[in-house]
Amino acid sequence: MSSELPDSAVSPPSGAGESSSGPSRRTVIATGVAVGGVVVAGGTFLAGAEEATATGAAPSSRVSLTVNGTRRTVTVDNRTSLLDLLREHFDLIGSKKGCNAGACGACTVLVDGQRVNSCLTLAVRLEGAEVTTIEGLADGDRLHPLQQAFVEQDAFQCGYCTPGQIMSGVGCIKEGHTGSPEEIREWMSGNICRCGCYVKIVRALEQTAGRK
Amino acid sequence: MSPQPQAAVGAPLSRVDGRLKVTGKAQYAAEFDADGAVHAVIVDASIGRGRIISLDARDAEQHPGVLRVISHRNAPKLPYRDNSGSNNMPGRRLRVFQDDKVLFHGQPVAVVIATTLEAAQHGASLVKVRYDAKKPSTDLHEAEPDKPTDYARGDAKAGLRNAPVRLDLTYRLGRNHHNPMEPHATIARWDGNKVTVWDKTQWVVGTRDEIAAVFDLPADAVRVINPFVGGGFGSGLRCWPHTIVAALAAREVKRPVKLVLSRKQMYFGTGFRPSYEYRLRLGSDRRGRLSAATHRIDSETSSYETFTEGVMAPGQMLYSMPNVSQAYRTVPLDVNTPIWMRGPGFASASFVIESAMDELAHKLGVDPIELRRRNEPSEDEAKNLPWSTRRLRECYTVGAREFGWDRRNPKPRSTRDGDWLIGLGMAAGVYDPGRYPAQAQARLHADGTAVVDAATTDMGPGTYTSQTQVAADALGLTMRAVTFRLGDSLYPQTGPHGGSSTMASVGSAVLDACNQVRRQAIKLAVEDRESPLYGVPADDVVVRGGRLHVQGNPARGETYKSLLARHDRSHLEARGNYAGPPTPERDSYAAYNATFAEVAVDATLGLVRVRRMLGVYDAGRIISPKLAESQAFGGIVGGIGTALLEHTVTDHRDGRIVNANLADYLVPVNADVPEVRAIYLDGEDNSGNALGVKGIGEVVQVGVAAAIGNAVFNATGRRIRQLPITAEALL
Repeated sequence: MSSELPDSAVSPPSGAGESSSGPSRRTVIATGVAVGGVVVAGGTFLAGAEEATATGAAPSSRVSLTVNGTRRTVTVDNRTSLLDLLREHFDLIGSKKGCNAGACGACTVLVDGQRVNSCLTLAVRLEGAEVTTIEGLADGDRLHPLQQAFVEQDAFQCGYCTPGQIMSGVGCIKEGHTGSPEEIREWMSGNICRCGCYVKIVRALEQTAGRK
Repeated sequence: MSPQPQAAVGAPLSRVDGRLKVTGKAQYAAEFDADGAVHAVIVDASIGRGRIISLDARDAEQHPGVLRVISHRNAPKLPYRDNSGSNNMPGRRLRVFQDDKVLFHGQPVAVVIATTLEAAQHGASLVKVRYDAKKPSTDLHEAEPDKPTDYARGDAKAGLRNAPVRLDLTYRLGRNHHNPMEPHATIARWDGNKVTVWDKTQWVVGTRDEIAAVFDLPADAVRVINPFVGGGFGSGLRCWPHTIVAALAAREVKRPVKLVLSRKQMYFGTGFRPSYEYRLRLGSDRRGRLSAATHRIDSETSSYETFTEGVMAPGQMLYSMPNVSQAYRTVPLDVNTPIWMRGPGFASASFVIESAMDELAHKLGVDPIELRRRNEPSEDEAKNLPWSTRRLRECYTVGAREFGWDRRNPKPRSTRDGDWLIGLGMAAGVYDPGRYPAQAQARLHADGTAVVDAATTDMGPGTYTSQTQVAADALGLTMRAVTFRLGDSLYPQTGPHGGSSTMASVGSAVLDACNQVRRQAIKLAVEDRESPLYGVPADDVVVRGGRLHVQGNPARGETYKSLLARHDRSHLEARGNYAGPPTPERDSYAAYNATFAEVAVDATLGLVRVRRMLGVYDAGRIISPKLAESQAFGGIVGGIGTALLEHTVTDHRDGRIVNANLADYLVPVNADVPEVRAIYLDGEDNSGNALGVKGIGEVVQVGVAAAIGNAVFNATGRRIRQLPITAEALL
């Protein structure tokens, strides 16, 4: 399924101003290791922030990960979150930045099948990881059942939290936390909907989990 | 409405933009691909008032990727032409980077522009600013108010003196922040002397005019675009300083610039619902017939602008009484300027008035609904005008029946469920909706599809969908055949997307444009010898599914497509107009509700949990029932936040907001919202617009906090005269 893409055009920042200062010193990344579903940064080797700065480049690393079935290898600023990698580099704007602090859930994606806040996940930790975003949920033109349920139940208004709600909902259903409306409410409470569509979000999950 | 059959209006349709939103393809302000865009991050003042002594940007400038640091030291002088429009408030608006003064904690003092977001963020942390700091004044209860705005009828003093029953109550309402899920964001791109701005705003026209004023440009040199807005609730009703910063930065570095506020910056970079201190004195007879009220209303504003809202209105017209006096005072503080937030003014006043009515009902031993019925006015006693429609009594009747009000024990603290004390409460709500002049353009194409444009917004209520419903019926087309476009200042002009004005205003313009187009087509047909409709009186022709036919005789007719083809017309089009409400007003036009709440309060811990909520609305015609229900739920959930959770907390020593994030500023989450129900009374209000609507977005939040507070009293016997009602307050 996954296709190998060459190094993406994502480049770390060049030096101050717009000068191209030639090949800058790159940091070295060792093999990424995934242990028990938790992705561990595989000994990212920094040249040292001071040194990197002195040579005109921010510390960066190469990372290979699969996003929505496509294998991608990028060299990325070590400070880059998975969310910013998706939004600013891969042009996958579906994952939203609501708080950038793990408090609102708008950035929820699946990493190796688990729902995570992509704003709190550094991209360089994701060597070998499988990431699924809202853009990877539908089967071509056919919406995922939970996407369809959100439309039918009108489980959103402004739509900004919606990708995160849906990804979180997919995780919630998969985890089996849909036994009752109370259980759904509890396990969906990491995703804020400021438009207040909670009742309908619960209905959409119930519909999809086949309990209605 | 038009003589057309209503197929789409009133039908419970799903959102036309739903698919875009659930697939992540809806593009919000920060998500447009402005080629070569660089990133900007604002540096916020870390003092509450004072002056910048020095600003050292050297480290930031040397950080890899940083292109420029702009501050008052090197910013060009900006013209800041006067602009009394754009929802600017009376006063002198904040001028970014024009001097060394700091007016509030968090004011932009510099902006760092870099090739990557990471570099801009880190660069912003490297800017060293030294200040001459003064102690700011940020406490509403300590500062000196402005001169009051007064209202009086009768003699409230004498009325109170002579009243056999008197209440003297002071309520304190916390500051609320809108906190839409999408942070405010701007992308600005200059092409010569013209600038295109993708901006999170509820008013592309107002933002365009403000940018034009600040940079002294003609309005047509500025284009503002925003097809999707990730929530607003009022926060996007004016152009904030960061939008100017983005445009300035883009001009300086000669590249498109993207600037997104952090969640923290949302707390001082955009406005808020001000905190209030509201003293209400009520006088009544022993049966609860109100005779007099005095209102002393103090609320926050900034030191540089005066913000006011409709907080006086409910006290003038919600209940009948001969004697009223009101004094509304703004209190200038070293804070940024507030802005209207859902149910502006009315929601704050209603908490006070509706809590007080509950206190009076309890004191007199009268049922709270009965007390309200006894004081129901027969006309608007402030405007001396009849109601256009006012169906509060029906709201009470339907609400009481559907909620099971008869199960409420009027004796507080008398219903238990294990450790939980159970209480029921209710409140009335009112909102006076805005109606602004608006235009729309409708174009019917030869292929039988239509496009309708207006420079309005959809921050979530479903403008795309509901305007498409209006257009589809007026044109006699299916929903699928109509595309409604918004969010571009180049489209026909409208007022702000707020104050529950959009359907009455923009909807009326859309209806007008589409009616004109349909009539043009009918005229073409009935005057055309080759048309099967030749000679039929125009008024007898209706259009359904793109086919014109004689009313009552569907067999005789033809399609738009064949008509336009025969006449070799690529399209028909018309500009629709809504001029605003009639002046002078002929009647008093407002939306109403009765909201009911059941709460459980932990007897030992003071924890409040909402169990059930019901809202019953007198809001005129409902164009889009499925979406209207969502809006009502949203208003109720917003009200739960105001009632129990939301409170922006300022450290008065330095003016810093201490809970400027979504972990400490609490908003309702899914587990806080169990059963919610909304009922819209069938009906219409044809006083001020042809659609018969009254607007729903604001009224649905008005009264919610009071209903919950009253339920808390019924559960516990404790009256908490502050918002939010916290466990600490109940202990």
